[in-house]
Amino acid sequence: MMFVLSASTISYQPSFRNKGFSAEISPLDPESELQHPDYSALIPPMYRRRMTDVLKMSIACTIDALQQADLEQPDSIIVGTSMGCSLFSQRFLDKIYASEGRRISPTAFILSTHNSIAGQISLLLGNHGYNMTHTQNNLSFEQALMDAMLMGEEGNRHVLVGGADERNLDLYNLRTRLGLDTVHETGGASFFVLGEKASQTAPRIKLLEVESFAFVQDTSQQVQSFLHNRDQKPEEIDLVLFGSCFPEQQQLSSIFEPRQLVDYQNFCGSYLSNSSFAMAYAVDILQQGSFPFLDRPVKRILICNQLIPENLGLILLERQSDDHETTE
Amino acid sequence: MSISVTGLGIITAIGEGVEANLHALQAAQSGIQWSEEFSLMLGQVHRSNASICAEFGLETGDYSRTSLLGLIAAREAWSSSSLNNSLRTGIISSTSVGGMDRMEKHYFQAKEEEMEETHPLMTHDNGGTTELIAQVLGIRGYVGTISTACSSGANAIMQGARMIQAGKLDRVLVGGVDPLAQFNMKGFSSLGIYDEKHCRPFDQSRSGLNLGEGAAFLLLENEKSMAVTGHSSICQLTGWNNSTDAFHQTASSADGKGAALAMENALKKANLSPSDIDYVNAHGTGTQNNDLSESMALKTIFGSQLPAFSSTKAFTGHTLAAAGAIEAVFCILALQVGLVFPNLNFVTPMEETGFSPITSSPQKQNLRHVLSNSFGFGGNCSSLIFSKS
Repeated sequence: MMFVLSASTISYQPSFRNKGFSAEISPLDPESELQHPDYSALIPPMYRRRMTDVLKMSIACTIDALQQADLEQPDSIIVGTSMGCSLFSQRFLDKIYASEGRRISPTAFILSTHNSIAGQISLLLGNHGYNMTHTQNNLSFEQALMDAMLMGEEGNRHVLVGGADERNLDLYNLRTRLGLDTVHETGGASFFVLGEKASQTAPRIKLLEVESFAFVQDTSQQVQSFLHNRDQKPEEIDLVLFGSCFPEQQQLSSIFEPRQLVDYQNFCGSYLSNSSFAMAYAVDILQQGSFPFLDRPVKRILICNQLIPENLGLILLERQSDDHETTE
Repeated sequence: MSISVTGLGIITAIGEGVEANLHALQAAQSGIQWSEEFSLMLGQVHRSNASICAEFGLETGDYSRTSLLGLIAAREAWSSSSLNNSLRTGIISSTSVGGMDRMEKHYFQAKEEEMEETHPLMTHDNGGTTELIAQVLGIRGYVGTISTACSSGANAIMQGARMIQAGKLDRVLVGGVDPLAQFNMKGFSSLGIYDEKHCRPFDQSRSGLNLGEGAAFLLLENEKSMAVTGHSSICQLTGWNNSTDAFHQTASSADGKGAALAMENALKKANLSPSDIDYVNAHGTGTQNNDLSESMALKTIFGSQLPAFSSTKAFTGHTLAAAGAIEAVFCILALQVGLVFPNLNFVTPMEETGFSPITSSPQKQNLRHVLSNSFGFGGNCSSLIFSKS
């Protein structure tokens, strides 16, 4: 168990440095665009130069999340990304193709590795701690979060953890051809500072549990046993943010009421680490304490990520009641 | 909580399987050869994708070589294990190339034919290569992939150990895989760090690395799992750490700060002093930068009491994400047979340190604790310590 000390997200919504954005967001339409902040005000020029979206977004979110948590150095930096620096990878392939045996510039290759994101963050901060990159399709962010929880158990006081993927138009074209064009192919980055102790000022948001499951056959059974193992009843969950490749076929309505179920991909579009957006969205809702159309306070949110039908990621967050003085 | 290694699997340029690799190591036989096809010195695995598919009964399909090489090593380590509902089982692989070998093929073909087909990009995922291995072996539950460039294999092993330690898993198959692909061959070429001859780690005349391909997996189990599976412990994984150099995206710092931190913290984790380490399997790629930086880090940790050390990259080539796992298997074999393996092609100590790695296998000795280093792009530095049970 760790506390979420800060959340920062760049998405297709006005989410960056905008507390309370969860009340302002609207479903994406074909004209929606990624809402980049002014990176020149955030990222030192030597880091901004030559960077693609996934690096710029991740670094901007890192800087913001650390500032919000009033923290200079996390003990660990952990990133979940499915496709990593996909645009640099593609750029390097183009260079190979065009080279005809001539020497190629190494820049795109150097920054093509999946761990460029976490590596560039360590360089920016001068951070010598644990630095890890998880890359398991739609479960990349959940596995990064699990790792962050382990680091907390192992004595880390602060962990920077994030999920990021960049939009790649070639991927988008492919999905359209496959008939998966009901979802908007996007990108985004969301970073969090997790701490062993809650902050004194903001509402206390706890990350209770996170888990990833491969080759899932019965989603509702898996969700129920996840909750059961943490002594939670489905009726104690106020809101479920779900992401699904086939939203109309999701099996959660056998456990939860329809009005509790929110398809988060309506707001962030589809990319394989978008459960990190869902977590930033959930943290914002929990900080507000309420959600439109729900007539009760929102204290517990379950994020249910099934962008790939057999791969299930579950994240459980809780707002600690305000009269609760001890921080465990 | 002790974490036992109970299974090993490996495929490299020096052989398929643990026995073949041990034999080549003892005979000082390098697997690196000049490749006419690529005009490079390479540590290639001489198995075609088609023959591996046939062996596993996979319908001839468009599988990534990452999955296929991984399958061979993972199956050997998994051996006769089977699923058991009373044990929480997982697999954590690691790769830097991932599905890139397929992607580049399709991508270049599409360019050639001016096709709009963009199918290839969907195959450049790492997670899918691990899923295929899990599927064939029947492992469910936690299926994960780590990608931290050339330290990936060590980090997958570490991740598995930490999940057992935290009580999340009872046993886990951990390892790393990378095949040769145009992407990484041209990538390292663009960095200008190839040696056109056999690489010479830690030698004054070293001038770069030879690339290789391969895979290795370890089966890690806790006591509960061993009671159920009946497996016996080959050795224990006692220390591990990942630290960051935070110096440059690809180059290592002059004093090897990240490497020294990784070794120091791994020793702390294992509750050992530097003098307890009987052998270090170095990262030792043969590049000017790595070998000097690593030597300075070794000096920081061990001072004048440097244990026997060698790089085995002149046997296998630098196998990138697989290196950490392959060299973990070599370390475990060293513990098992009481031998350290030679650093091939070494003649002259580097001026800055005067360090001489082991160049021939000495008499058998009782090794108690061995340390393996793996470093990657992004300043990613990892050390593992294996100890006799």
